[in-house]
Amino acid sequence: MARIELIDVVKRFKGETVIPNLNLTIREGSFTVLVGPSGCGKSTTLRMIAGLERQTSGDIRIDGELVNDTEPGKRDVAMVFQNYALYPNMTVRGNIEFGLKNRGVPKRERERLIRDICEIAGLTPYLDKKPQSLSGGQRQRVALARAMVKNPKVFILDEPLSNLDAKLRGQMRTELIELHKRLGTTFVYVTHDQVEAMSMGDRIVVMNKGEVMQAAPPMVLYEDPDNLFTAQFIGTPPMNVLPASRLPGLRTEGEGHAEFVGFRPEHALLSPETAELTREGLVIAGQIATRESLGAEQVYKLRCEAGSFFVKSFLNPYVGGDFALAVVPFERLYFFDRDGNRLRRLRAVRPQLAAAGV
Amino acid sequence: MPSILNRLRPYAMVAPALVVFSLFYLYPIGYMIHLSFHEWNFISPVKTYVGLNNYREMLADDTFLQVLRNSALYTVMTVLLATGTALPLAIWLNRKSAFHAFVQGAIFSPHIISLVSISLLWSWLMDPEYGLLNGLLHLFGISPLKWLNDPGTALVSLVIVAVWKSLGYNTLVFIAGLQSIPPELLEAAALDRSKPWTTFRRLILPMLSPTLFFLVIINLIGSFQVFETIAIMTQGGPINSTNTLVYYIYEYGFRFFKIGYASAAGVILLIIVGTLTLIYFRLLSRRVHYR
Amino acid sequence: MSMNDAGRRSAIGQAAGVRRPLAVRRIRAVLEAMLFAANRACMLLLVCAFALPFAWMLSTSLKTLPETMIFPPEWIPAEPVWSNYAVAWNSGPFLTYLLNSFIVSVGILILQMLTIIPAAYAFARFRFPGKGLLFGLVMATLMIPAQLIFLPVYLMLSDWKLLNTHLALILPFASSAFGIFLLRQSFMQTAEELIEAARLDNAPEWKIMLRIMAPLARPVLVTFALFSFITHWNDYFWPLVMTTNESARTLPLGIAKIRETEGTATWNVLMAANVMLAVPVLLAFFAAQRQIIRAFVYSGVK
Repeated sequence: MARIELIDVVKRFKGETVIPNLNLTIREGSFTVLVGPSGCGKSTTLRMIAGLERQTSGDIRIDGELVNDTEPGKRDVAMVFQNYALYPNMTVRGNIEFGLKNRGVPKRERERLIRDICEIAGLTPYLDKKPQSLSGGQRQRVALARAMVKNPKVFILDEPLSNLDAKLRGQMRTELIELHKRLGTTFVYVTHDQVEAMSMGDRIVVMNKGEVMQAAPPMVLYEDPDNLFTAQFIGTPPMNVLPASRLPGLRTEGEGHAEFVGFRPEHALLSPETAELTREGLVIAGQIATRESLGAEQVYKLRCEAGSFFVKSFLNPYVGGDFALAVVPFERLYFFDRDGNRLRRLRAVRPQLAAAGV
Repeated sequence: MPSILNRLRPYAMVAPALVVFSLFYLYPIGYMIHLSFHEWNFISPVKTYVGLNNYREMLADDTFLQVLRNSALYTVMTVLLATGTALPLAIWLNRKSAFHAFVQGAIFSPHIISLVSISLLWSWLMDPEYGLLNGLLHLFGISPLKWLNDPGTALVSLVIVAVWKSLGYNTLVFIAGLQSIPPELLEAAALDRSKPWTTFRRLILPMLSPTLFFLVIINLIGSFQVFETIAIMTQGGPINSTNTLVYYIYEYGFRFFKIGYASAAGVILLIIVGTLTLIYFRLLSRRVHYR
Repeated sequence: MSMNDAGRRSAIGQAAGVRRPLAVRRIRAVLEAMLFAANRACMLLLVCAFALPFAWMLSTSLKTLPETMIFPPEWIPAEPVWSNYAVAWNSGPFLTYLLNSFIVSVGILILQMLTIIPAAYAFARFRFPGKGLLFGLVMATLMIPAQLIFLPVYLMLSDWKLLNTHLALILPFASSAFGIFLLRQSFMQTAEELIEAARLDNAPEWKIMLRIMAPLARPVLVTFALFSFITHWNDYFWPLVMTTNESARTLPLGIAKIRETEGTATWNVLMAANVMLAVPVLLAFFAAQRQIIRAFVYSGVK
């Protein structure tokens, strides 16, 4: 169990700055997921922690110890690679044993560790097979076993599930969560898939262009995003964002000037007529462009004057024809300034009854 | 401390190979150039500096000029025949079946046999009295040839042996080149109703040009260095009609002990081989990559 | 190729919906069968051009001396004379030759492996100042043939008192530019993750090279080993120049020398010796044809 600190870390590749200035603390024992679009620097961050890449400047500490000049093999971290990186010329046993041998673990001890780990990972029948003859899921387990057997301070996983099919991926996800619970080791996990991030991490670091956009537990990210990027990166479909100036029914009070207004698709309600809904929330009139039914939920895409947006509903399908009013409760509106930063001190004003009469 | 070791490691790893190359390839070239300006009989303790005398003497020597002519003639004939025949052969034999593999193996087989074997075998086949080749000619009612014993046919006979040895190799290299052409390209051409000849000229030949250049250069360099067949089959004769550069150097160095003079001839060979190599790299970098 | 084209064209014809009368189709089928047969026959003829000389070598090796002096030549000897082989074998110290050939070829191969693996690894994996220059040096030696430098190397080896020793035949070939080139190519194709995984497993650099990279490059190493072994096993030029003493000479030299000991015209004995030199290599070739062809052709496709 170890805490990882990145302090003023900068990384440049051939004159190009990949990470301008990164400060990040990964709590001990946490399952931290680094998530972001490709090229956001999440893999580079991971590789710097592992020691496979050296930062241009700044410090990295693992368990309080400065590891800037420590070889990857001496950092007490284990890594699971995207394509598993199993040694093709060695058997499953050889793969797991290789690291132990290099650490000078005596033979007796090695055999015991391998036996134990293979029992846990369900690999005992495959010990003497070569990786090429194993299925994707089995290879994944070998890669995990190879990492686990070293009993590292930190577990690093670089998109480990992306080569598996959808069903196996779901299964491995649960297994990894259980594994983390049992080991209690710090997990650092990289993915570009926000669903994977939300379902696995107890702490998520959203990255974009080498910067941390927000680091928080999943539900905080979802309910209280710091900025437009996080808001739109998390959730399927993502948060709807419309320019504030194109929404005539909206009035705000508080600090700041709202440039963008956002709301989650699942917070909007579809209704055929105005009624008294205007008192409850912001009303946006639109044409239904597409309808997607996923069984339990319906996803509508609406087109309005200000742009298009999604509405997700868990009720029965909307039957009011192609025209609809979307109503979003005022407290479910998010405001952002011109740079995409969240305006937390801004609120929507409920229209007065008198005003409604005008 | 470990970082210094890390920095030295790559040099330590390439060092053994580079020591061998410097000692046995690069240094000798310098040494040879140095010797070519001297007169030395290998036994005497003194090497006399003679400037360009060796070169002057050599260029005035009729035998040397004949040797150059022989080398050039032998090289041109061998390269033209060995690569020129190999291309159509490759197109003909380029299929993946057991039978084709057998045919390819058969024509390739001389390439892996010692040149000593080949030279002895062909000396016997070309025997002017009882040789099999004259027997074949006899079947067709042609009067026997003297092959290696006739100054008029000796060089051509050696060319035949060289082509026989290298044809299979050239063909297989061409086949490897043909097989690296993506089949979709040929299929697209077929769908465009391209005639076979057009497909060959406009598609296959350009795609094959790196292979073609490679083979021409390798054959050129190889032919200029021919030694074994000459040493075993003709010893440069009759009357110097098959005397070529490497054999000439060998004779002057090891039979007449004129080390300086032989070195000068070596420098001439170096210039020829070096020029060919440079041309190859120049062409390679300029025009031949479609992949 | 030509057959391919014919097939493809007729397939396109059918796809376009062109239907020909039955008789025409039948004639076509017969013509195609004949063409196929003619094609195969031509190929067999080609094979003969390469197989017959070897057959002739075998036939001669079993003849009596008078039988070799019949014109026009005859193929089958009245009675096979196996003793030609014994005469050939006893005409010189062939056991020594054989042993020398073996020591030299294997010695070269071992030294080459020792020098090319680390060099190729360093050229493939590390960035270091002067790398381009040093690799250029390696590539330059690729283009320097033994026939160019034998004279100065002979003088050097003579100075070092190494003439007529195995070392004179081994040391100049202790490394191979071709091998470094091939192996470097193969090392560069190895997935970076494997090396990273090994580094995380705390493997020292030599272990990454020998336990991870070299086993992955095994096909290339085998290919190169075949190429190297056959080349030096067959070599005549270098041992001819560097040795004068029977005790250090190799098999090809010994065979070539029979001409001097047994006389130029004893073709039956000469061919028996030749069979001993060529047939083992030919047999090996037909056993591992695919591998050996790849070993030699590799350089041509890069």
